Amino acid sequence: MKKKFLSILTLGIILLLTACSGNAASGDSSENKESAKKGEKQVVTFWHSMSGAGQETLNSIVEDFNKSQDNIQVNAEFQGTYDEALTKFNAVAGTDSAPTMIQTFEIGTKSMINSGKITPIQEFVDKDKYEMNGLEKNITNYYSLDGKFYSMPFNSSTPVMYYNKDAFKAAGLDPEKAPATFEEVEDASKAITKSNPKMKGFALQAYGWLWEQLLANQGALLLNNDNGRTDTPTKIGWKEEEGKSIFNWVKNMVDDKTFANYGTNGDNMVAGFLAGDVAMFLQSSASARDVIDNAPFEVGIAFLPHPEDKEREGVVIGGASLWMIDGKPEAESEAAWEFMKYLQKPEVQAKWHVGTGYFAINPAAYDEKVVKDAWSEKPQLKVTVDQLQSTKSSYATQGALMDMLPEGRKIMETALETVYNGGDVDKAYDTAVQQFNEAIQQANKARGK
Amino acid sequence: MSMAYRTLETNETYILQAERVKKQNRKKSFLKGMLFLLPSILLFGAFVFYPMFKTIYLSFFLTNAQGATTVYVGWENYKALITDPIFMKSVKNTFLFVFYTVPTTVVISLALAVVANEKLKGIGFFRTIFSSTMGVSVAAASVFWLYLFNPTMGLLNKFLEVFGLEAIEWLTDPKWALLAVSATTIWMNIGFTFLILLGGLQSIDSSLYESADIEGTGYFYKLRRITIPMLSPTFFFVITVSIINAFQTFGQIDILTQGGPANGTNLIVYSIYREAFVNYQFGSASAQAVVLFILILLMTALQFKLGERKVHYQ
Repeated sequence: MKKKFLSILTLGIILLLTACSGNAASGDSSENKESAKKGEKQVVTFWHSMSGAGQETLNSIVEDFNKSQDNIQVNAEFQGTYDEALTKFNAVAGTDSAPTMIQTFEIGTKSMINSGKITPIQEFVDKDKYEMNGLEKNITNYYSLDGKFYSMPFNSSTPVMYYNKDAFKAAGLDPEKAPATFEEVEDASKAITKSNPKMKGFALQAYGWLWEQLLANQGALLLNNDNGRTDTPTKIGWKEEEGKSIFNWVKNMVDDKTFANYGTNGDNMVAGFLAGDVAMFLQSSASARDVIDNAPFEVGIAFLPHPEDKEREGVVIGGASLWMIDGKPEAESEAAWEFMKYLQKPEVQAKWHVGTGYFAINPAAYDEKVVKDAWSEKPQLKVTVDQLQSTKSSYATQGALMDMLPEGRKIMETALETVYNGGDVDKAYDTAVQQFNEAIQQANKARGK
Repeated sequence: MSMAYRTLETNETYILQAERVKKQNRKKSFLKGMLFLLPSILLFGAFVFYPMFKTIYLSFFLTNAQGATTVYVGWENYKALITDPIFMKSVKNTFLFVFYTVPTTVVISLALAVVANEKLKGIGFFRTIFSSTMGVSVAAASVFWLYLFNPTMGLLNKFLEVFGLEAIEWLTDPKWALLAVSATTIWMNIGFTFLILLGGLQSIDSSLYESADIEGTGYFYKLRRITIPMLSPTFFFVITVSIINAFQTFGQIDILTQGGPANGTNLIVYSIYREAFVNYQFGSASAQAVVLFILILLMTALQFKLGERKVHYQ
């Protein structure tokens, strides 16, 4: 009796467990039908991926918008990271559960267009005769393809170098002059570790986005065919010395024991910086407000470093844009368009910039009083704007377009982590390049063209 | 004569009729049986068999980001897996992970269960404590361990510091990461394993121990000769389930390391997740899922074949 029971139980559990692997359909449905009934308001469902300070500021902006008029009710729903939100969207795309608009990261641009589940923003721009020229030029550069806007830019940031001014002083370095090149960063790291053996000099999160930025800053392309802007890419676009310079830079610091390894975890890196474990790190300017407010020491923010023998080209727009989902009733899409336009207003962008560290996509925002006050109090916030505006416009700084970019990032992250843990640069680099090229070919093949 | 003939005839018709009735009855009971099974057939069909066959189907195609099939590639997804160093590494990691977690969990849980099986005052409190990790979700437990492993303020490194040892990069050093994730998993699984083993211990007939006591045997002899053999069916169950569980570990990996450092903790299920929902390659992700299914099936079949021989059922 017992034998039978146990084997049945075992078998049952095996079946259940094996069945659970692999299928993860999600069915988030928006619950705004009720609220649509009671007031005559048009409900707009807005999926976003902002957490922390970004979410607070965004919620307050949405609230302002809902109060500013009586016809539209925007429901902002946090859907996890960009990756997670995109996965959920792909699961519900084309059904009633799909949102009216969704925020998606820049490297999702191509796969959103390819999905066929979106309406290009250009249609609304044309119908409304809306002027996109008022927006920051570097941003419109990234998001326009053949002169057509597919999505509305919203939150944009660039990577910057955060450094601990107090630690610089203690190490006899000039706290007002941050290291600008790879070589200067190495030297500063050595000085800092020498003056305080408990503090590491520099940390680079194994994050594909930072790798892309460090490439662009040398004027290198990520993908061939002009970063995929003139034709579908077929292989990588950077040259060996450009790619390896980053690996060798890190390797030198690992060998000097001045490098702090936080792996792929950005939160731990920031925590380490705030606790005085590491003196410099690269991160999105979007964290500026959080870091400055929480640091018990003076925080400096500087431009992204570049190799000494290369001129600084500038940075690629990072961040996300807003997409209009196809197949929604016209009134609903129109309402979402109204909200998108609202987000571009100088006063809204000013609030956004000051509250987060993302820069204002509408430069008129910099004339707002809020921004001026914030800048005089926290001049570091201005660095990100300066860095963007001094960026040279080229294919390298326009950024790459391809649907396999998330995969590419993971490949580079693995390679970087290998080097952090003492792996061989040549081997890690060659493996990464081979995998990157294979991923491009696979993606092209899967499109069936 | 004619009478006899007639009886024979009626006999035959009787048999025929009886068979017809039997057949009808069988048909009826079959239908009745199906009716009883219908709910579970429907549920299993919708949530187990359909996804399973769909996965097998998808594994022969390339897909777009929505998971719709685009190009038929036959066995190519499978062939690519064999030569894919990342997937092979994840297979190796998974076996290592099973090897690290399953025996340790069972041994620790057995020790706890044997101790908790003693009839002492207040033992209920300890039984509750020992099985308490069962009530902690994977996500909560992982976040809790994430803080213990934190390089800046983690408790574990603080302890090492007190003893004058160098801090360990728990989750970013390839030498430690898989062990760190394994430790988390062992801690999480102890509750369930403990509970099942304790249940097994309590159902052992006390007369066996009484006879042993009369014989004057020692504690460890009883443990070896009575407890362990009598517990073998429970062991078999616990080990099978633990192995399958270990093969399908996902939550801890996603929260603690995301497969890093350099794929050092990339287990098969996490690799499937990444292939499908980061790289949007549903075809090769499905192929990986099928490989995982076959691996688990083989492992379980092997266990039933080898393990069951040694199991002593009462």
